[in-house]
Amino acid sequence: MGLTRYVIARAGWAAFVSFTIVTITFLLLAFAPNPSVSEAATQAALQGGDPAQAVEQERQLRGLDQPLHVRYLDFLEGVYTLDWGWSQNRQQPVTAALWEGIYYTAQYSIPWTVLTLLIGPIVGVYSAANMYSWRDHLATGFAFFGWAIPNFFFGIVLLVIFGVYLQWFPIQYSTSVPVFSLANVHQLFLPVFVLVTGSIGSVMRVSRNESAEFQNAEFMKTAKAKGVSVYRAYAYHVMRPTMVPLSTTIVSQLLVIFLGSSLLVEIVFGIPGLGRITFDALINQDTNLVLGSTLLFTFIAVVGNLIEDLVFTVLDPRISYDDR
Amino acid sequence: MPHRARKGPSNTPRMSRRQWISALGLGGAAALAGCTGDDGNGGNGNGGNGNGGNGNGGNGNGDSATADEPDPIDLSQSPPEVDGEYHVTEASTFETLNPIYNDEDSAGTAIGYALDMGYTFDQNNEVFGLLFEDIFTEDEGETWTIQIRDGLEFSDPYGQYTAEDFVYYIQEIHQSEWAQSVNSIDWAGVEVEETGELEVQATLANPNIIWPETFAPLEYPIPRDLLEPYVEEEDAEGLQQDEELLELQFAGNMGAYVLDEWIRDGGTQYTRNDEYYLRDLAEDDDLQIFGEAPYFETLQIEIIEEESSRIAAIQTGETDNVALPPNRGQEFIEDDETIVVLTPTPFNNILSVNMRDNGWTAGPGNLFTVTEFRQAIAAAIDKQQYIQGILNGFAQPHYTWQPEFSEWYAGTDELTLWGDPEEGVYGGEARELAEQALEQIDEDYAYDGDTLVDPDGDQVELEIYYNASSDTQELAVDFFANEFESNLGFILNTNAIDATTFSENYWNAEPEGGTDTVNGEEVEWEQPTASNPGPRSVTPEESWDFATIFGLNTYPRNPITNEAFFDGANSSYNPVGYYPGFDAGSVFEEMRNAGSREELAEAFSELLVNLNEEQPYIMLAFGDDIEAYNPDLRGPIANFSSGWDFGAWHKDD
Repeated sequence: MGLTRYVIARAGWAAFVSFTIVTITFLLLAFAPNPSVSEAATQAALQGGDPAQAVEQERQLRGLDQPLHVRYLDFLEGVYTLDWGWSQNRQQPVTAALWEGIYYTAQYSIPWTVLTLLIGPIVGVYSAANMYSWRDHLATGFAFFGWAIPNFFFGIVLLVIFGVYLQWFPIQYSTSVPVFSLANVHQLFLPVFVLVTGSIGSVMRVSRNESAEFQNAEFMKTAKAKGVSVYRAYAYHVMRPTMVPLSTTIVSQLLVIFLGSSLLVEIVFGIPGLGRITFDALINQDTNLVLGSTLLFTFIAVVGNLIEDLVFTVLDPRISYDDR
Repeated sequence: MPHRARKGPSNTPRMSRRQWISALGLGGAAALAGCTGDDGNGGNGNGGNGNGGNGNGGNGNGDSATADEPDPIDLSQSPPEVDGEYHVTEASTFETLNPIYNDEDSAGTAIGYALDMGYTFDQNNEVFGLLFEDIFTEDEGETWTIQIRDGLEFSDPYGQYTAEDFVYYIQEIHQSEWAQSVNSIDWAGVEVEETGELEVQATLANPNIIWPETFAPLEYPIPRDLLEPYVEEEDAEGLQQDEELLELQFAGNMGAYVLDEWIRDGGTQYTRNDEYYLRDLAEDDDLQIFGEAPYFETLQIEIIEEESSRIAAIQTGETDNVALPPNRGQEFIEDDETIVVLTPTPFNNILSVNMRDNGWTAGPGNLFTVTEFRQAIAAAIDKQQYIQGILNGFAQPHYTWQPEFSEWYAGTDELTLWGDPEEGVYGGEARELAEQALEQIDEDYAYDGDTLVDPDGDQVELEIYYNASSDTQELAVDFFANEFESNLGFILNTNAIDATTFSENYWNAEPEGGTDTVNGEEVEWEQPTASNPGPRSVTPEESWDFATIFGLNTYPRNPITNEAFFDGANSSYNPVGYYPGFDAGSVFEEMRNAGSREELAEAFSELLVNLNEEQPYIMLAFGDDIEAYNPDLRGPIANFSSGWDFGAWHKDD
């Protein structure tokens, strides 16, 4: 199977997976009690109004008065026409809400991802090259610390030390700061630091263990015998085969942190990003927005996996699509 | 829900009906979402000013936490300098800023910065006209005249705000069937008529001498021309999503600030409105301070969900106002870098008992239905210990269904002080009351030494549910368990639960209706609701005994609203299955028909005495909002109406 056919097949599979996940999400939301509706009833009761009428009004406002299949078909039509509906809890189109979230999430996610990809493998290989030395122990300790400490807690601790006591960094995230400015770097330093320490741990450990296998491999001996410098040997002959299994770890790790930890970091640092949008939408049963963000995250996961598979062949030409 | 489930206080600059309703709504929504902890709702207790009845908070109880009380702004002073930014940090974001559809407290605040309403209440509980020049009745509350201030202008192209806009908005939106506006309940049966360019007459279906206090006439100004296309199409969805409404682009000179941007989840940003109409009030020498209002160049609401981050922001001076949780209050009171203002609230801390047939899970019968047993429960909890130990002193004891700052609170002379070891009924007397209750039931419960035993001879064990996200409630239920075991001899098992789950499965039930004997008379539940689904035989899905999940509003400005709670079959809100042991219907009728405030106060006083005796909900404490401010800020006061004069708030150099 050639690259084109492989990508097309994977994209088809991704569409199927997305459809399934979104359908399940839709059904789960449809059958869960909606707090806004009971809220409306209670408010009406407290004001001496008619709770039944209030429930009816709220259901109409939220489009819940339509039969389930009509709502589902409307939703599916919206998905394929890229009209993902209106977010009831943000009073804006779902696509606008997601773009807004991406805008803020990307500002810390991109530097965090880049730094993780740079630092993690390098520290891992360095650690392997100096295995059981104090440098290795230091790197390992750092990795385990970052991996073990909950991002949420670590963020608060850093805020207290560097925000409240030392006042080196701002406590509040300001949305009015220009994206490409030192002020933005300044205010995003702590969240990025927290996320990087949380994600490089496993990357570093995997790359350390994988590269340990290769540093005494035959091709390394040959390279050294040919007089290749140490840096070149590690960069070209150890790092490259190490990255093959490592790419799996990186993609899954980043996805986990992207979906989970980023929400907590956004809450601690007050960043109005994608994690908070999704969480708030779930809590408030903002159906359209939940489904939109589910689609988005599914897309990210599927594309992430696809990129990972493609990277395999770049890193290791022996891997072919014919077997897939 | 009703329930302000221990949510953070609003940083409300303006007391509006939105706040009332939304304090119910939002607190509940957040509670239902299971997202509320104890993030900054107050306890209360503004010890010191003992001025019940005029809106000044607290009752001077010396055991409560105290903070300095800032002086109100002198409105006759000359205008201060316009300078800097007023920065508020809040815990939760807004669902909508569309004034027609908002029912949230925090969003009401955000809208209020950019758009005034008809009137507000000053620190003496007097109506202070904003967009309304006046609102008055000359026939004991049946017909009310609203005079709209001259010179109020919408943004282009909508022109002046007139009676026509007001009447059109009421008739075509609130009184329509298609628009589903949040205030539609308030205008049902009210005839509204334009009697002049700037004058409206409202004729109520039932006369009400305190109509302004119901907040019903309080409306945002919305231009007729903006509404008309939606009215013609009966397009509720379009009205909800209208950009001009969502971004308050039509506000003209009717708000102190102009909304620049609403970043969902991030907050709102405003700039000063140079044309603010309230400046015209400065022609009155007593209101000179409004001459250049408002007094900040910019204003910002920042949303930070995490409590410790919010608090850190006030510590570092990055914000001017944050609500504090009770366990951080004292620390900031002692900190010179902040001022703490304790604002009394009408929301209570109560212990609900299930009087319905699936309550009292310890065995046959239901002792909660016996008044003496509810009194025994109230008497078994030492309120001062509860306030000091659990609420960190930021609370006042709660004996009847009004806070002490309420105009309608008549003092404690005729009340029994349940849970007060010194001046009331507590401890051993609780046990005596419980024994009296045992004599009134058919089931064979008895005391074996200090232990209350069921008909099988086993110690009675009951269940209490508390909000899983509330540390305060977790502490409180352990305290109650100790008190009940010591004073009443039964075991209390504590259960953490998500507020949404509790509301859906334990608190509300499918409305069925039915009949039962209440206070000796056969009564019918003619309009059952989920919150009062029928007689005690109609029960929610799950059984429960005690709950601390929800607190309720006591409606200190509009006490007639309490009819929703305490009129048995006729109440719209009665999840606990309370049957009044007095003629509540007649008392509420007297209140409704009162021709003067004095008559209303007299009737309400009777209700308060009865509720104190019957303890339909076990009343524990009233909490204050604990607000930390920048010490340079002038304006906030320790008063329920704090923020009514927001246009005059400023910073001293």
